[in-house]
Amino acid sequence: MLARSCLRSTRAIASARNGVVNISKRAASSSSSGAAADSPLRMNIAAAAATAVAAGSIAWYYHLYGPTAHAMTPAEEGLHPTKYPWVHEQWLKTFDHQALRRGFQVYREVCASCHSLNRVPYRSLVGTILTVDEAKALAEENEYDTEPNDEGEIEKRPGKLSDYIPAPYKNDEAARFANNGALPPDLSLIVKARHGGCNYIFSLLTGYPEEPPAGASVGEGLNFNPYFPGTGIAMARVLYDGLVDYEDETPASASQMAKDVTEFLNWAAEPEMDDRKRMGMKILVVTSVLFAVSVWVKRYKWAWLKSRKIVYDPPKATKHTTRH
Amino acid sequence: MGIWDTITDLFEAATPWTTAEAEAPAQEEEQKEEVTETKEDEPEAEEATEEEEEEEEEEEEEEDEEEEIVDPKDKLEEECRESKQCFPAKHHFDECVDRVTNASGNGEGKEDCVEEFFHLAHCATQCAAPKLWSVLK
Repeated sequence: MLARSCLRSTRAIASARNGVVNISKRAASSSSSGAAADSPLRMNIAAAAATAVAAGSIAWYYHLYGPTAHAMTPAEEGLHPTKYPWVHEQWLKTFDHQALRRGFQVYREVCASCHSLNRVPYRSLVGTILTVDEAKALAEENEYDTEPNDEGEIEKRPGKLSDYIPAPYKNDEAARFANNGALPPDLSLIVKARHGGCNYIFSLLTGYPEEPPAGASVGEGLNFNPYFPGTGIAMARVLYDGLVDYEDETPASASQMAKDVTEFLNWAAEPEMDDRKRMGMKILVVTSVLFAVSVWVKRYKWAWLKSRKIVYDPPKATKHTTRH
Repeated sequence: MGIWDTITDLFEAATPWTTAEAEAPAQEEEQKEEVTETKEDEPEAEEATEEEEEEEEEEEEEEDEEEEIVDPKDKLEEECRESKQCFPAKHHFDECVDRVTNASGNGEGKEDCVEEFFHLAHCATQCAAPKLWSVLK
């Protein structure tokens, strides 16, 4: 807004300057004709006054709207996460499903002890992260309530593919109680739910400095993380080098694990992404074909009009008028 | 795998409309396990001691490997922090740390270096991001 008005004002100043030149020229020419009502001095004063008004309006605008007041300190805002070149965020790229598999392993072995994944059923893991048999075996590790039996009792049964991944705590209150009052958020949609998405999650997981910078105040039971708004986060650093043994023998450095689990969480938030991109490609294919067809049809339909020839032979005074 | 399987595989790889099935190769793995079990049963007690020694060595090697894992992010960001690109940010941060640590001794420790730390961290991560992604899988 301000920049635009500045641009406009510079243009105004430039035009005013040109105006001065033009006016003085015209004054010189008009004086020779002898009909000069305006002296060059008065015109120059008018131009200078107009310029002063223009500059003054800019100054007044800047005085009113220019400086923005920041109510929050940078520490309260949190450090904005760096943009990383995620492959799966490119338009025609899918998730790296080997990375998703590693990320799910990291979630199960590290994150799942505190964070739930309430919106992800086992069936959605089939074909994207696990095979059918692996997912079934994983589901059967947990027990779920059955329908009430004949006596009205609710029994337990082993999990099925249609069940959802169980939460570590019974409810939010239990989760708060176990974590010193801080609620570990559900991770199903966390990539969509946080400003900065994947970059934020990755930066947060890997961004714990070895010690907070000098003078920074860290609350009791909190840890310093620059990317968390307010910089005091209840979650301590969890990812350390070699914490997980990957089955594909990828070196499990902290940043590798963070990258994998972030991509997995992105999948959990947007499991439809691969299909969505394929659908987009299909739409491009179909619309381009339809466009090409429409161009050819247009040519065909307009052919008689474009190729016609109109000839006008004026009637002549002579007897013999020829017609084509 | 007959020659026909090879041809169908090639054909399926070339055609874009085929779908990849995510099925576990369960049977082959089981067979391999059986084979290894039979092999392990065959050697006698004399060889068993040698195997134990080998296993111990392997364990040690594994431990070494685990110790060797160095987070490329830490390394790259450290290099970036020292680089010319981030010199102003690092200079300001170091200066602030000196000032604050000296001032806190005098009881005037109101200032903190969070903002300077942010600028330095921003510079270092920005510089390390593309390098890091080329290293990570």
